[in-house]
Formats: sequence, C-alpha cells, structure tokens
Amino acid sequence: MKEKLLPLQPWFGLVARLILGGVLFAAGFLKVGTPDKSQMAVRAYEMLPIPIANFLGLILPPIEIVIGALLIVGALTRVMAALGGFTMFVFIIAIAQAWARGLNIDCGCFGGGGAVAPGETKYLQEILRDIGLVFLAAYLIRYPSTKFSLDKNQNRKSSQEEVA
Amino acid sequence: MVQQKNPKGGKDNFTRNLVIAVVLGVVLIMLVPTLLSKQTNSDAAIPSNVSVEDGYGVVFNKELQDVPFIEIYEDFQCPACQRFEGIIGEYVEDLINTKKAKVAYHPLSFLGPESQIAANAAGCAADQGKFIQFHKLLYANQPSENSGAWNSSYLTTLSLGLGITSKDYDKCITTSKYKDWVVNVANEGAKRNINSTPTVFINGKEIDRTTGYNSLAGFMLAVSKA
Repeated sequence: MKEKLLPLQPWFGLVARLILGGVLFAAGFLKVGTPDKSQMAVRAYEMLPIPIANFLGLILPPIEIVIGALLIVGALTRVMAALGGFTMFVFIIAIAQAWARGLNIDCGCFGGGGAVAPGETKYLQEILRDIGLVFLAAYLIRYPSTKFSLDKNQNRKSSQEEVA
Repeated sequence: MVQQKNPKGGKDNFTRNLVIAVVLGVVLIMLVPTLLSKQTNSDAAIPSNVSVEDGYGVVFNKELQDVPFIEIYEDFQCPACQRFEGIIGEYVEDLINTKKAKVAYHPLSFLGPESQIAANAAGCAADQGKFIQFHKLLYANQPSENSGAWNSSYLTTLSLGLGITSKDYDKCITTSKYKDWVVNVANEGAKRNINSTPTVFINGKEIDRTTGYNSLAGFMLAVSKA
C-alpha cells in the first residue's frame, strides 16, 4: 500500500503545505490591519495577563503571515510546519479552555474575535479545523519533501530513506 | 526547481536568504509600523472635555460628586453600539443635562480605519461643544463597516447640520488632529480589558451583560442601583 502511494507523497505534501500555509497566511493577513481588534481577540480568552495578551495580539498576525508565506513557497518546510503545527496546537488549547470555562467568545482566528452572544460560539468547528491543520503539519514534519518546493532535494532523499 | 543545484552539497543559500528576506520584510513593513502606531503618546493633543485620568474619555459633569459615574466604551462603526445608543441615548443625555450623572464616552477604534476617522472627528466636535450631538449623528448615519463612506468631506458636510461651520473644525478633521488621542483611548481601553462594544461601567463596575444593555428599563435599574 505504502509502495503504491510513494510517488504521490510529494503531491500530498504540496496540498498539505498549501492548505496549512494558506490558512495561516490568510488568518494573519485578515488581522494585521486591525491591531486593536486582534488584541481584543487575544484578551477575550482570559488566559494571559492583559499586557502580555495585548502584545501577543500585535505580534501574532505578522508571525502567521511569515509562517504561511514560507509554507506556501516551501522554504524550510519542516521547520515552518513545526511552527505552524505548534501555533495550531496552542489555539486548540486556548479554544478548549474557553469552551470548558463557559466563556462566550469568537476564536478571532480570521479577524473578529471578542465576546459574542451565548449560543453564537463555534468552539467545536474551530477545534476540529485546527486539529485537521495539526495533522497536516505533522504530515509535513514526517515527509517534508514536497512538489514545487524551494527546499533542496536532500529532504526528498532523506524522506525516501525513512519510508524505505 | 527554482534554485540552482549546489554541486558541493553545501548550505542552500537561496532558501536561507529568502527566509531572512520574508521575516525582515514582514517585521519592517507590518510589525514595526504597528508597534509604533500603538505607542501611547502622553503629549498628544486632546479635545475639550477629555480627562486624561478617566482613560482619555470625553467627560461630562466632571465636577459632580455623589452621582453615578457612567463610562461608555463604544465604536462608532459597531452596529450593537448603534442599537444601544437607540435604547439609552436620550436617557443618558437627560442624565447629563439634569446633572444626575457624570458620564465618560470612550470612542474606541478597533473596527478599523473609519472608526479612527470617526473618533478623531468626534474629538473635533467636542471642541465645538457638540460631542453628544455629533455622536448621535454618526449613529444615525452609520454605514456598513469600512465601506469608505466616512471620510473627511462626508463628516464635515454632515456636521453642517449641527451648525458647525468653523474652519478649525474642518481642519481638525482633515489633518486628523486627534489621531494620537484616538490611539491613547484605544490603549486605555485595551488596558482595561474592554473586549466588546458597547461596554458600560457604572461606578467602575461593568453592568450586567444579560440585562443592562438590551432594554432601557434594565439600564435604568443599573443606574439607580449605583
């Protein structure tokens, strides 16, 4: 089974890269122009001291843009996938704790964010989406060699060795 | 493959340089300007009636003691704020005119550029002694978010209806005279953990989300309990 799928592996990698990178890039891009809102979205999770939450709200969108852009072009795929997967993992924890504590907030993932009316939360969808993205990141960490990537071929060689 | 093969199998300089360029580019183009624009400037020009110690809010009846202190955090572009103004606006205005409450308005601008334009203009209107009237007028003419409707010429024209014809006023709007003040208001709101608009504090305590915002009766009850 694995043998059959082997030639397709870099193509799966390409799809994973474009989805994970595209989501991160879009998320960052949609938030970077409204720093007040982005700060508000982070504060609304009530996890961090307010000054730290405000700082994170400012730096998170540019970080997402960097990781997203580099994943899209396929530069340092493995490192960026690890970073992207880590941010998604942190988002899952943040959303889950908000859910568990009964907060009524929007995740603020693509802009928006802050308090919403009870019953308007979408925690399950948000968590499922982020879990899917973590899996894509994990795939890219395991098989970082992908089609149309700027990374050198050495990755491909090593990943093929791993498979074999 | 875009990059050239390096026969010696050394470092991949192209990718390394690209990563550095992307990181630097994003930091310089996005992060640094954002961080700079979010600095509180204590030398900022502030409109009339603004009280620095009350979080840079526009304050009415500042001198009154022993009355409820109502603090309203709003964003002129926010539809919920428009609804809220429709419910409690007249009542709060009445409280101000009859000296039954001290009221601070904090025009936040988290919804984006046109919120900043509107907040700056509200500061200019405060200088003309027309803050509340202008505030009402903005909500009465609220477009959809950042649609481009709220620009300088629109707002100055709108203000003619309030009898504001001053050249200084127009200049105040076109030059964004109070843009640093708008940032300061936003920063104070952020420090105070304002996570949605409208948010209302009475005597330093937020009113009940489920009862205080949706009906005049609920709001009046919150004021009378204070």
